[in-house]
Amino acid sequence: MTSLGQFYPVASPVHDLDPRAKIVATAVLVAGLFLIDSTVGLLFVAVALVALVGASRIPVRDFLRLLRPVLFIVVLTVVFQVLFSREGTTVFQWGFLEVQAGGLRLALFLALRILLLVGVAGVLTATTAPVELADGIEDLLSPLKRVRFPAHEVAMMMTIALRFIPTLGEEAEKIRGAQAARGADFSEGGPLRRARSLVPVLVPLTVGAFRRADELAEAMESRGYKGGEGRTRYRELRFRARDALALCITVLVLLIGVLL
Amino acid sequence: MRLELRDVRHVYAAGTPFEVEALRGVSLTVEPGEVFGIVGGTGSGKSTLVRHMNLLLVPAGGEVLVDGVDATTLKKSELRRRVGLVFQFPEAALFAPTVEEDVAFAPRRLGLDEEEVGRRVRESLGLLGVGDLAGRSPFALSGGEKRRVAIAGVLAMGPEVLVLDEPTAGLDPATRGELLDLIRHLREAGVAVVLVSHDLDEVAEVADRVCALHAGRVCAIGTPAEVFYRDPGLAPVTVRVASLLQESRPEIGEPVRFGETVAALRALSGV
Amino acid sequence: MQNLGTGTRHGGSFAVSCEGLTFSYPGFETTALSGITFELRPGEYVGVVGPNGGGKSTLVRLLNGLLRPDSGRVLVSGHDPATEPFEVRKQLGVLFQNPENGLVAPFVEDDVAFGLENLGVPRGEMRERVAQAIRAVGLEGYERREPHTLSGGEKQRVALAGLLAVEPEVLVLDEPTSMLDAAGRREVLEHLEELRSRKTVLHVTHHLEELLNADRILVLNRGELVADVSPERLLSDPDILRENRLILPVVPRLARALGFGANLKRPEELADAILTRAESGTRSR
Repeated sequence: MTSLGQFYPVASPVHDLDPRAKIVATAVLVAGLFLIDSTVGLLFVAVALVALVGASRIPVRDFLRLLRPVLFIVVLTVVFQVLFSREGTTVFQWGFLEVQAGGLRLALFLALRILLLVGVAGVLTATTAPVELADGIEDLLSPLKRVRFPAHEVAMMMTIALRFIPTLGEEAEKIRGAQAARGADFSEGGPLRRARSLVPVLVPLTVGAFRRADELAEAMESRGYKGGEGRTRYRELRFRARDALALCITVLVLLIGVLL
Repeated sequence: MRLELRDVRHVYAAGTPFEVEALRGVSLTVEPGEVFGIVGGTGSGKSTLVRHMNLLLVPAGGEVLVDGVDATTLKKSELRRRVGLVFQFPEAALFAPTVEEDVAFAPRRLGLDEEEVGRRVRESLGLLGVGDLAGRSPFALSGGEKRRVAIAGVLAMGPEVLVLDEPTAGLDPATRGELLDLIRHLREAGVAVVLVSHDLDEVAEVADRVCALHAGRVCAIGTPAEVFYRDPGLAPVTVRVASLLQESRPEIGEPVRFGETVAALRALSGV
Repeated sequence: MQNLGTGTRHGGSFAVSCEGLTFSYPGFETTALSGITFELRPGEYVGVVGPNGGGKSTLVRLLNGLLRPDSGRVLVSGHDPATEPFEVRKQLGVLFQNPENGLVAPFVEDDVAFGLENLGVPRGEMRERVAQAIRAVGLEGYERREPHTLSGGEKQRVALAGLLAVEPEVLVLDEPTSMLDAAGRREVLEHLEELRSRKTVLHVTHHLEELLNADRILVLNRGELVADVSPERLLSDPDILRENRLILPVVPRLARALGFGANLKRPEELADAILTRAESGTRSR
C-alpha cells in the first residue's frame, strides 16, 4: 500500500480535476453546509454527493470506510438529541425517557451534516493524490507570499513529508523488529507500561529522522536549492473549463440546498 | 541447537491485490556450531527467511523447528534468547543514553540480576572490541563502532544461534575483516552463525555450508564448493578463477577459501 | 605550487584545483584536512581512497561549498565554492552515499527535475532534459514510481539522473555504492563507466576494484594527501596499502600471492597468466 491512507488511485473525471478547483470546492461546500438550515436541503446535497462518489469510480464500500471514524460521534449526537431534546409532539415514552418528534428531526439533521462534512472531505482526499494536494495548496497560498507567508516553504515541507512518510514507516517497522528480537514486548502491561516500551523505538526513529534531515539538506543544497526565489516548477497545474464547471456546479448545488 | 526450517512459506499482504509470495517452501537446517551462509539477490527472500528463525514472522505454511520441537509452541522470549537476530544496519536501533545501557537492554529483559547483566555487557563489548566505549553515547560513535555495539547488544543474550543479516553492509574493508574474525571466534565458542550476505567472497571465507535462494526458493544447498561451483559465473572470485582453469587443469579441484585457492594455484603453476 | 590563477571555466587548464586546503570541524581538536593540493584535468577519472575519518567526506563538502576551508583555496571551473557555491553547483554534482536521503520528491521524475527547478529552467526545457537524464540511466518507465518502492541501485540511478540533468562538468561520487548490494553496485558502476568519456570524475570509495581503470588514485589519511599514484602503482605497493588500511581486491591479491604483478584485474586475466606460466614451466622441463 503506497498511498497515504485515503487516496484511491483509479481513473475518473473527478480524479482528473485540477486540485485547486477541488480544494476550493471542498472549502466552499464545507462552509456552505453550515448555511443550510433544512433537512431537505441537506438531503439534496447528500444526493449530489452520492452522484459525485459514483463519478469518481470509487467503490461504495471503500468510501463508506472513510465515514467509519465519525460513526461514533454521529451515534452519540443522535442519541443525545433523541433523548434530551424537548420539541414537538411526544413520539415515544418509556419511564422517564421521552422521545419527541422535534428531537428526531434535529438528530437526523445533525447526523446528516456531520456525515456530509466528512464525506465531502473524503471525496477530496480520495480523488486527489497527496502530491497534487500539496501542489494545489502551494498554488492557492502563493498570493500570500506578498505578505511574507512562506507558501513555498510550506509546500516544500509537505512534499518532503509525503516523500518520507512511507520510508519512516518502514524504518519504524524495522526498529520494532530489532527491539523485539532483543526481547522487547510492546503489548504487555497497562497504557503507561506500553508507552514506555515504545521508547526503544521512538528514540532511534527520532534520532534517525534528524540525521536524515541533515543528509537531505546537504543533498538539496548540493543540487542548488536556495529557497523559492527564482525557482520554476516541473509539475503543471492547468485550470481548464471543466474545473470552472465543477466549481459552478458546486456553488449551484449549495445554493439549491440553502434555498430548499 | 539444531534449527530447522521445513517447507516454510510466507505471503505478504495475503488476500489483497498486493499479495506477494516471498517464500515458496524453503527447507534448511542449521547444525549446532556451524557457520551457515545464505546468499541470493534482492528479492530472493533472504531477509524474510531469517525473520522466521526467531518467529518475528510466522510461516504461512511449513514449520520452524528448534531441536525437533515446533518453535511456535515455545515461549517467544525464550526462542528469541536462543536465536539472536541482528538486522541489517542494526545501529539504526541504538537508543540508550550509553553504550552500556543499550547492550544491557536484552539481558535485562531476560530478568537476569544486575551483576550478571553487567558481566554479559562487559563480555560482549569485549568480544566486539569496543569495551572502552561503554560509557559513551551510542549516537556519538563512528559507523563501525555503532555496528559493533549493536551486535554486542544481541550477543549479550547468549544465543545458541546468531543470525546476521548483511553484517558488513556499508563497512570499510578493514572492519569487514574484523567481523569475519568474530564469526570464526563464535564458531570456535560453539555458537552457530547464520550469515546472510550478498558478498560471496565473504561467505566463501567463513561458511561451512551455504544455501542459495532465488525467488523464494532454495536453488542450491550444500558445502560452499558444491554450491559455488554449480554456477561459477555467480560465485566468489576464487571460485571463478579456479573454474576457468578446471577444463584444462582438472587437478585444481574445487578450492573456495583464499588460502586453499592460493595453494591449489601454486601447485598448478609450479610456483 | 601550481599557478591556479588561470583555472577558468570550460577549456581552462583544470576542472578542479585545490591548493593548501585546510579544514577543522568546529569544536574538534584534530584537523580534518591539512594542506591538500591537487588538480583534476578535464576528462580525468580520479579515485580517492583512505581509512574512515581520513578526510574524504570533508574534501567532497569543501569542493561543493557545503563547507568553507579555514585556509587554502578550491577552484571549480574557475569558481570558488566558498564564495560562489551556486555557480560551482551548476558545474559540480555530488552523488552521496545514502541512496535514501538524496531523493527529495515523491515521484522519480519530480526528483530528477529538482536541480533544474532550482536553476529556474523553463518548464518545456526541463521536461526534455529530465526525459534525457532518465534515459541515460536506463530508468525509462520509472517516471511515476515512488522512491520507497525502488531498490538501492535504482535509487542511486535516480540520484545520478538528477545530477546529469543539470549537465555539470564534474561529478563527485562519495562512496556511491557502499550501501548497495552486489547487483545494485553493478548497476550503478555500469552507468558510471559510461560517463567516463564525457565528464571529469572524482570517485571516493573503499572498494579498490572500482578504481582499477582510474587515471589516478589519491590516498587521504589523517587529513593528509599521502599519495597521488596510478592504480597499478598503488596495488603493487604493500606499504601504502597497509598504512592506509586498504585491502586489495581478490584478483590482485591472488596474483600477488602467486608472484604475479598486481596489474591483473579480472579473473580471466589471472587464469590466463597462470596457464601461460604453467605451460612454459611444462615446456621448459
